[in-house]
Amino acid sequence: MIPAEHYVVLSALLFVIGGVGFLVRRNVLVTLMSIEVMLNASNLALVAFNRSRLARGLGQNYVGQSHTGQVFAFFIIAAEAAEVAVGLAIVLAFYRLRRTVRSDEADLLKN
Amino acid sequence: MRSLLPSPNDYVLIAVILGMPLLGAFVNGIWGNRLGKRAVRLMALGAVGVSFVASVLAFFSLAQLSNEDKGAHVKLVWTAWEWMHTTGGHGGASVPIEAKFSIDQLSGVMMLIVTGVGFLIHLYATSYMDTDKSYARFFAYLNLFIFAMLVLILADNLPLLFVGWEGVGLCSYLLIGFWYENAANAAAGKKAFIANRVGDFGLLCAMFLLVEYTGALDWNGIANGATNLLHPGDAYRVHVWPLGGGHYQGVLAFLNHPVTVSAATAVGMALLLGCTGKSAQIPLYVWLPDAMAGPTPVSALIHAATMVTAGIYLICRLSFVFVLSPFTMMMIAIVGAGTALFAATIAVVQNDIKKVLAYSTISQLGFMFLGVGVGAFTAGFFHVFTHAFFKACLFLCAGSVIHAMHARIHDDDKAQDVRNMGGLRKWLPLTHLSFAAATAAIIGFPLTSGFFSKDEILYRAFVDRTVNPEDGLGLVQKMTTYAPPQWIGPVLYATAVLAALLTAFYMCRLYLLTFWGDFKGWSIGRPSLLARREVAAAQLTSAQAAEPDADDARADADHPHHEDLATPGYPPHESPWQMTVPLIILAAFSLFAGVLDPGFGIFKERPLDHWLEPVFKAATERAVVFENGHDAAWAEHLEWPLALGGFLAFVVGTGLAWWVYIAKRGAPAQRLAETQPGLYHLLLDKWRIDELYDATVIAALESLAETASAVDKSLIDAVLARLTALLVAASGTVLRAFQNGVVHVYAAMMVVGLAFAGWFFAVPHPNATVADAGNDDYLVTAAPGVGYAYRWDADGDGKPEKQDFGGDTTLKLHLEPGKSQNVNLEVRNSFGLVRTKTIHLARPQEPTSSL
Repeated sequence: MIPAEHYVVLSALLFVIGGVGFLVRRNVLVTLMSIEVMLNASNLALVAFNRSRLARGLGQNYVGQSHTGQVFAFFIIAAEAAEVAVGLAIVLAFYRLRRTVRSDEADLLKN
Repeated sequence: MRSLLPSPNDYVLIAVILGMPLLGAFVNGIWGNRLGKRAVRLMALGAVGVSFVASVLAFFSLAQLSNEDKGAHVKLVWTAWEWMHTTGGHGGASVPIEAKFSIDQLSGVMMLIVTGVGFLIHLYATSYMDTDKSYARFFAYLNLFIFAMLVLILADNLPLLFVGWEGVGLCSYLLIGFWYENAANAAAGKKAFIANRVGDFGLLCAMFLLVEYTGALDWNGIANGATNLLHPGDAYRVHVWPLGGGHYQGVLAFLNHPVTVSAATAVGMALLLGCTGKSAQIPLYVWLPDAMAGPTPVSALIHAATMVTAGIYLICRLSFVFVLSPFTMMMIAIVGAGTALFAATIAVVQNDIKKVLAYSTISQLGFMFLGVGVGAFTAGFFHVFTHAFFKACLFLCAGSVIHAMHARIHDDDKAQDVRNMGGLRKWLPLTHLSFAAATAAIIGFPLTSGFFSKDEILYRAFVDRTVNPEDGLGLVQKMTTYAPPQWIGPVLYATAVLAALLTAFYMCRLYLLTFWGDFKGWSIGRPSLLARREVAAAQLTSAQAAEPDADDARADADHPHHEDLATPGYPPHESPWQMTVPLIILAAFSLFAGVLDPGFGIFKERPLDHWLEPVFKAATERAVVFENGHDAAWAEHLEWPLALGGFLAFVVGTGLAWWVYIAKRGAPAQRLAETQPGLYHLLLDKWRIDELYDATVIAALESLAETASAVDKSLIDAVLARLTALLVAASGTVLRAFQNGVVHVYAAMMVVGLAFAGWFFAVPHPNATVADAGNDDYLVTAAPGVGYAYRWDADGDGKPEKQDFGGDTTLKLHLEPGKSQNVNLEVRNSFGLVRTKTIHLARPQEPTSSL
């Protein structure tokens, strides 16, 4: 079995990639994608920790077996879907307004 | 009949008496403008009318009850609800305050005056106010006024009376400032309200003192506990000075000498302040002359039936408290006599018909104060009774005169100026006769009502005095109270006679100037119809042409109310029946109400005296005696000789007025005014008391207000408000630069912030609180944190007692006095980072005892 540390390292890598992508890329669509990557990194960590707890028998104290991590991941996926829907709507509105999807053009909230 | 009326202990008819005017005020106040004039009139008159009928019924059942009880102090009681509780008395007992109303002999008579005279004034006002655009509002206020006065009269305890007391204050404010578009009227309303507030302060203080000393606020309770007000013990006295028990030091130490008065005097003087406010006595009378800014029916209501009589009523009501303090009684009498004379001197030179009457009211109220002040409560109250009729009649007559003058002169001031009147008896026969009757009553024309009531007061002022009430209480341990000087009786009598003389003079002056002589109003305003007719007639006679048009001479009540100098005006005309009928009724009462309490042994019976006897029994028996220890026979012998003073005052005053204003056509008055301009203008300016108050009290208040305003502007507005706003705005300007609208910058800042927060959570933060566990022990408790483990070094030598970190969050440490010690706390978190904190503990040296 692959130890949990591997998953966590992968998750951290994905998170950093997402974070850096979010910070450095100017295309709003890529920014959104970066957010997705970060969220999925956290999903991965959640699922991995849950799995490792189960494997070590730490979940035995609960009634049945605890799947909190997995269930939480599903909730996050649902929230992601909603977030992407809203995000894309904003992107579309922004494109109609400015004829571009470059995020540094979006400065209407200035001052 | 008996079975139809409710039982005396739950006399719900009081609810009708009180409720109807309130209902009228409510209906007219809310829907009045939509209902139309006829409905408003019906509601207002119906409300007071039903209230009056109910009052008469209640009065009869009271009379029946009184007969059955052989003249005891009887009461019809109705408890509406329990209002609140307070504590009082020296034991701190609970004092219930109920919304409880009662009718006894005293309030029964007052209730009849208020509703009866009030109804007549309402009837009069339906016509007088006919052309006013705020008809409904006027009657709503008027009904509310009657309601408030009834609450004041029928209340069975002081707090409830205070509700009515404030109610009449409010209504007087609303009605005096009824024509509030005119700033002067609004100011007059405000003045009345504020002057009354000063008096209310006194009444409130009296209430606090009463509940503290007597442990009750209802009439029976106060009467039962009244003896507590007179007690020689120091704890039972009221400390007037130093204020609030303060203590002066240094050069001011001489101020520490305490001044105490008996509780009876403190209560009495506080009540007196309240009464001078409401009943317009020195020093708070200033509002009443200005109160005539309101419509004339309001003046009649304030001066006769309601409001100003409240002070006298309260003194009568609490007579058993007042007599406990001879000093207060003497002060009441002095204030009364002083006001009577003072106001009369002003009234002599005033030219405004309503102003003369206003000062005459103040003067007459002074007579009432004098009466109750010497212990002649019945006499004082009888004067309230008769004054209600003749003063209401005088004011309503004045209204009728002004109404008539308005036909010619549309300027309010000119229409009220007696110098523009004269000879009005030709046009206003009914008003003239009523005015004459009421004048006869007020100047004390023999056998009129005013003659009897005023003479009784003069007589009693001479023969009565208030003495130490404890003689009547039969207490073992007596305290010395103030004894009024021997000369006070004759001085009061002389002052009152002089005031009566001036009354006769100025009232006759007013009457003669208004109704006799020639009408002087032709030359004012537009040319009269009559004058035009005379001119036309002259032309016609010269031309030998057709006869003049007789119809033009008829006065028309519906004349247009705007000044049009091009068309001729109408001569003064008599008022419609709604106005004259009340005049005639009131005039009849002014003339004949004296039979209710005639002196001089004219009739065997003195019904009012007999009727009110049980109310004042407790007071008069206790403390009122004849002057110099004389007996009743001595006083009886003096009745006729003393009446001579009042009669002479009437004859001289009237004769003088006749000589000056009819025989000499005002020439002597003019000559006197020219030779003594200083005195004349001093009187014309009302002794310049208003100016004195302006310069002292009001100026002091204004400078205080200005200081406060300056502090507000310079300190609070400038420093506190503006400076903080400036700081916030400045920091806003700086921080706004960071808000550049670029999402990436925001994201970067978020990352930085997260990094700081992450660092904070990644590093352990050792912290501890130290508590004294007693027995020279200290308890050191480490602050909790997620994943923290602790290691203690109790002796502070750098070597922990245990090598392993554990969950031990507390450390108990023994420390001798005067010793100190360092404790090291090491905290390790889940990341394995360790931080150390050194806690210094020191126990101070215990103070050595100096045995």
